[in-house]
Amino acid sequence: MVAWFHAKKKTPRLRTLGQLSLFATLSPAELRLIDGLLHERRYLQDEIIFDEREEGQALYITIGGRVLICRQGEAGAGRIAEIGAGVVFGELALLDDSPRSAQARAAEDCVLASLSRSDFESLQDTHTVTASKIALQLARQLARQLRERNPPDERISL
Amino acid sequence: MSESVSADSRLDLSSGPLVWAATITCTMLLLLLLKQALWLAVPFLLAVVLYYTLYPAVRRLALAGATRETAAAIVAGCFFIVALGMTALTVSWLAAHSVSGEEAFFRYLEGGRRLLNWTLTVLESKFDFLARIGLSAAMGKKSAEFGGTYLQEHLLLGVAGWLPSLLLTPFLAFFFLRDGGRFLKFLGNAVPNAYFERTLYMIERVDTTVHAYFQGLLKLTLVDTVCLGLGLSLLGIRGAFALGLLAAVLAWVPLLGAAIGCVIVVLVTATDFPADPWMVYAAIALFALVRLLDDFVFTPLTVGRSLRLHPLPTVLLILAGGAVAGIAGLIVALPLAGIVLVIASTIGSIIKDPRLRARHAFARKLWSRRVNVDLQL
Repeated sequence: MVAWFHAKKKTPRLRTLGQLSLFATLSPAELRLIDGLLHERRYLQDEIIFDEREEGQALYITIGGRVLICRQGEAGAGRIAEIGAGVVFGELALLDDSPRSAQARAAEDCVLASLSRSDFESLQDTHTVTASKIALQLARQLARQLRERNPPDERISL
Repeated sequence: MSESVSADSRLDLSSGPLVWAATITCTMLLLLLLKQALWLAVPFLLAVVLYYTLYPAVRRLALAGATRETAAAIVAGCFFIVALGMTALTVSWLAAHSVSGEEAFFRYLEGGRRLLNWTLTVLESKFDFLARIGLSAAMGKKSAEFGGTYLQEHLLLGVAGWLPSLLLTPFLAFFFLRDGGRFLKFLGNAVPNAYFERTLYMIERVDTTVHAYFQGLLKLTLVDTVCLGLGLSLLGIRGAFALGLLAAVLAWVPLLGAAIGCVIVVLVTATDFPADPWMVYAAIALFALVRLLDDFVFTPLTVGRSLRLHPLPTVLLILAGGAVAGIAGLIVALPLAGIVLVIASTIGSIIKDPRLRARHAFARKLWSRRVNVDLQL
């Protein structure tokens, strides 16, 4: 019975999850827990993942393929970013009920993992430490994005 | 253009008349089906309660390093060991006190019979035609038969008949704990990408609804216990709050459970106050008042509110559930309607959202083009 609680070897999937910045600080047991909450989705090239202004229910992690983030209906001119494997997007859905700020569509065939807001919220109730680790990583990621968008001379140092 | 398209994509799960009509129709159809599997309804409900009670422990163990399967097995196993231990203790206690318990049972039964005789005698003295037909003697004979034969043959055998199906409860609870998450994933995987986030929202709301229903039920039990306990205390009846709790728990089975609770209160009062039958009538009046409050105020405000149902349909659904599927219908009509309403609202919101349907059609075309790429003539 004790063996059931021994640290188990990381499977390739857990290793992939552990390499994501969002889950980088989680222990193998926590990663296994998160893996149990993730939904795997497959999208064809050009398929829409979510629309701009749609109410977000989940964040997505690119496991394979590339995803285009763009303005709604302007896949070419309104291109904001193109993200590859290991990148998290749609993460603001985990924080509030505000609508999506851009459209996401598959730039090529891709595999995504999604974590729903309700699962994240229940994680905050049952596994506060794990949820706070993810929330901290999320905050760091958002801060990094904020710095990248604002040039150094426009930044206000606090 | 993009503004209007996007605005349609916002979540709007408000329930229109069509959604309500679909909800009531589907709930009644499901209740009819349930009637065919009555023996499964109670263990299933108890298993759901157990699931929500034990699930946090399973998650704790999963965090400690156990797999979901192991955690479910450990938690369910520990619970069953404790339950078995408590059952063994209860059975041994009952065996040790069986003689005094049996004596008390027949003493309370005799108290009830005395009350009935007194009431009928008073009625016969007021109304001659009742005396002429010998109501008191006839009812006395019937009540003796009820106590001696009917109660033992029907009620006790009925309870014994339900016990095997109750054994299903731990098995169902174990599989809910072990495979619940997998089942939700299975459901999520079956949904097209365009509807995926709506489905996530629906699953979350169904979970919240069921959880809230059982929370509401516990609140209702507390309110009933306090009201009955206070009322019976004011009447000076011994063990008022214990009786109130027993009656409140029995009321989980609407109507029938309440009737059994009332009979127990009457028997105890009639035995404890043999010379004062009016005390019994006061207890019955109190019980009736609490039941009325329960059915028309407390239930809509606790269970009904937790399901976000209006008090009027809440009462109507309970009555309709009882008419369609009897006792099981009474018990499950509300939670079932709550779940069906969430599903119907979600489907309604998808049907009303042209953008989501267009996205799904677009994804199907992409798949079709992909699989037919080498099949063009």
